[in-house]
Amino acid sequence: MDNLDIGNGARKLFGIRLFGSVEIVVTTTWISLLIVTVTLILVGWLAGRKLTKRPGRFQVIVEKLVTMLYNLVEQTMGKHNLKYAPYIGTLFLSSFFCSLIGMLQVVPSATGDLMVTLGWALITSALCWYENIRNNGFLGFLKGFTEPIAVMTPMNIISEIAQPVSMAFRHFGNVAGGGVLTSIIYAALASLSTLVFSFLPDKILSMIPPVFQVGVPAFLSIYFDLFSGFVQAFVFCLLTMVYVGTANPPPAVPAETAEDKS
Amino acid sequence: MEFFTDFTEKFESFIGVNFWTMLFAWINILILYLFLRKLLFRPVKNMIDSRQKEVDTMYDEAEASRTSAAQMKEEYEEKLKQVGEESDQILKNAVRRAQLREEEILKDANEKAERTLERANEQVALEKKQAMNEVKDEVSDIAVGIASAVIGRDVKPEEHTALIDDFIRNMGEDK
Repeated sequence: MDNLDIGNGARKLFGIRLFGSVEIVVTTTWISLLIVTVTLILVGWLAGRKLTKRPGRFQVIVEKLVTMLYNLVEQTMGKHNLKYAPYIGTLFLSSFFCSLIGMLQVVPSATGDLMVTLGWALITSALCWYENIRNNGFLGFLKGFTEPIAVMTPMNIISEIAQPVSMAFRHFGNVAGGGVLTSIIYAALASLSTLVFSFLPDKILSMIPPVFQVGVPAFLSIYFDLFSGFVQAFVFCLLTMVYVGTANPPPAVPAETAEDKS
Repeated sequence: MEFFTDFTEKFESFIGVNFWTMLFAWINILILYLFLRKLLFRPVKNMIDSRQKEVDTMYDEAEASRTSAAQMKEEYEEKLKQVGEESDQILKNAVRRAQLREEEILKDANEKAERTLERANEQVALEKKQAMNEVKDEVSDIAVGIASAVIGRDVKPEEHTALIDDFIRNMGEDK
């Protein structure tokens, strides 16, 4: 059990001391985030440059994806909320690639760190509050907690806290759980290799690599990293869109000015 | 107890409560958001929108020119029809005028011919009358001469005019 490393989570790399007692703890998650950010900026720069009226194949794909994003945002949040489309797109790419980066087996998935997903979930909550206050005023926002009746106030406050926590733990749990499961299966496959070749003398046995680890984890990885990563990123974005869209309902009079903000 | 501490340590590392990481995640997503919005989403969206606008304009223009072409075609057809009718009218008029002119000319010619004939007839009649008178005079002279020779005395034409005239008339009728 000791050599079974479930600690797929962040490991401390080093600390930076500030003002004596305050220490900035730099973990492996930081590396993951940095790699994802730099990579995505590069990808975005490559995808967004040299745009022409008559697109090539690559530009058609990029445009298709961007159109899908804007359509999704428009359908979920309404036309007046199209200004959020770039953030939703960023969130989706961030989340998906932060899950995928764990596949490299060099750095852990950044979304396998609760602090990252909680950070994103708190951004969603902050956007909700911002829209709520913008629409109803600060007093209206506070009054919203007492609805439909004053007795419900504690419940409303709990639900307001539960919203980012549930979002964060859902995403974190899926990715981290997948990582744990993959590690366990790796260990199990290694044990299986040892078991199958146990008739060989110890000297030779130690030279044989755990052959069963080849191939089988690939299929698990397709599910846990690719599929689950995609689904979790999508769910996270969808929840963000729904929450923020609810906080900023379409104006009673269909104002066409909302379109210009996008 | 040892297991418990071990477990909490592992759990702690698994959950990893480290608010600096959250701050770093915020910084990262903010930077990524700003960059992607500037580099990817806005340019691509603008491109799509401007192309959409262009396509819309092109379709509108095509529709407009199609409509105007159809209208022009109609107008031209109408004009062609008018021109055809006009040329028909002109031709008909020309034919009618020509026919009228022909009739006129024929009538004129006929009239002229008739007049010429009439005049000729009149001339003939006149000349006949003159010749007749001349002959009558000569014949009456001759007759007087012969008669005076026959009777032996002078016949006075003044006294016997009636007789002579009657003779001459009879002679003329005998011819």
